[in-house]
Amino acid sequence: IHIANVTCVVLGRYNDDFDDGEDLADFADDNDFAEFEDVSEDTAAEPETAPPPRGAPPAQPAEDDEDEATVELEEDGQEDGFEDSDTQDQDMYSKYDPDEFDGMEKPSQSLKDPLIIHTVPAHLQNSWESYYMEILMVTGLLAYIMNYIIGKNKNSRLATAWFNSHRELLESNFALVGDDGTSKDAVSTGKLNQENEHIYNLWCSGRVCCEGMLIQLKFVKRQDLLNVLARMMRPVCDQVQIKVTLNDEDMDTFVFAVGTKKAMARMQKEMQDLSEFCSDKPKSGAKYGLPELLAILTEMGEVTDGDLCCGLLTTMVHYITNHADKIESIHFSDQFSGTKVVQEDGQPLKLPETKKTLLFTFNVPGMGNTSPKDMDTLLPLMNMVIYSIDKVKKLRLNREGKQKADKNRARVEENFLKQTHNQRQEAAQTRREEKKRAEKERIMSEEDPERQRRLEEAAQRRDQKKIEKKQMKMKQIKVKAM
Amino acid sequence: YRTRQDEDKRRLNCYPPSTEANPTLEDPTPDYMNLLGMIFSMCGLMLKLKWCAWIAVYCSFISFANSRSSEDTKQMMSSFMLSISAVVMSYLQNPQPMSPPW
Repeated sequence: IHIANVTCVVLGRYNDDFDDGEDLADFADDNDFAEFEDVSEDTAAEPETAPPPRGAPPAQPAEDDEDEATVELEEDGQEDGFEDSDTQDQDMYSKYDPDEFDGMEKPSQSLKDPLIIHTVPAHLQNSWESYYMEILMVTGLLAYIMNYIIGKNKNSRLATAWFNSHRELLESNFALVGDDGTSKDAVSTGKLNQENEHIYNLWCSGRVCCEGMLIQLKFVKRQDLLNVLARMMRPVCDQVQIKVTLNDEDMDTFVFAVGTKKAMARMQKEMQDLSEFCSDKPKSGAKYGLPELLAILTEMGEVTDGDLCCGLLTTMVHYITNHADKIESIHFSDQFSGTKVVQEDGQPLKLPETKKTLLFTFNVPGMGNTSPKDMDTLLPLMNMVIYSIDKVKKLRLNREGKQKADKNRARVEENFLKQTHNQRQEAAQTRREEKKRAEKERIMSEEDPERQRRLEEAAQRRDQKKIEKKQMKMKQIKVKAM
Repeated sequence: YRTRQDEDKRRLNCYPPSTEANPTLEDPTPDYMNLLGMIFSMCGLMLKLKWCAWIAVYCSFISFANSRSSEDTKQMMSSFMLSISAVVMSYLQNPQPMSPPW
């Protein structure tokens, strides 16, 4: 009866009207295990049908527990039922009266609805593969760090190689080699001063003919990966820049530059002294016996060219010709003041301070792919630098050249004064007004009326004097004009 | 053969180097990269954009690589820490992996 009740429940889901337990009992009596077979078929078909399976699977174990004898058969029946469930679908329903299922949706329709399987969100998936972008980023960072270490070491090795090959020459010529400027007195450190991962400085001083020499090793930024990639598109050289500052008595007045055509064009625009004094376009080096690729900028015109430039160049020509590929620019000037400063409007200008300077810029061979051995090839160039320091001291302009040079300098100064004339006048005017205002305030603040009156009279007298002076001047000018 | 005249052109009165900073030689890259790094890390934190935070980390690395040795390490470290915190915060708030823009 218990079993019958259970089967009743099971079958009852399909048709609530089907509540006649007796019919069921009759039905079951025909075949001892018919009920179970049908039940098992029904229960097997349940998962695929629309009416949700409610109690069938739990009901089955209950049945199994109840009747041990039937367990095995049931299981077999179940297995069969599950395997053949698809094909038996239609058979199952054909056993029943179709009228029983009026008003119910045909379960077969639901089989056509697609099952939507949602994807598990990536971060819950427990696989590292979904984080490939992050892994890429971290790999990029690691590559950057590796490149930083390698680049830094390479630059450091190049700098040390340069210093080792040049140390002897420098120490024999200068009393002070290497001073980082941190202490007030000049102290020789004997080593390069690292400003950056790619810039090394060396200050040498203590020599006749010059005040001091600043050497800057400007390497390519090997420690920055972006720069390395940019250099693959546009190769750049390592450079050695040397700036020799001279005492006033060590150099005569001339401005002169030689270097690659590009460098000369650029320097003529950028450098204050070259743009002012060397107004002509750069001349080809072939005129002076130098290689074609070099150009020359000089202050003197054709007249005294022969005297100074040639004199200077003939002494240095063998150096320059042999190492023309390494020379970027050589610039000698007694009016050196750096690059053109962008001037703000309304500011009274003073003539920029000038210093007698020799500037050398050399390219390290290798176009970026330099090895420490290449540094030895720069040694002859350093010899040239030392040689030219001594030479410039002895070089003197002839009388014509000197006159021309003086005229040039006077002209430049005059131009400058004219340009700034208006500004200077305005500045003077404002200063005068301020003085008057200050005086008036002082007079006003005086409490004693007597003192006030006296101060006012004094101010008036001063103004009168000024006006008289001006009138005198005007009269004098008129007389002169006449 | 060196004569006595060739020897010792050195003098004892040495001048110290001029300590003026040459503005034309100064490279603005580390300062720009520092600023960019800060902007990107703020964007990454506020707008919860992962790629902003990653770019900020790169910017701070580039700024460090280009910096001068006289520069303050505190500045570098603070920008670096800010960018790392931007990355960490973006992932804590949204652990999903970054999706490529394509």
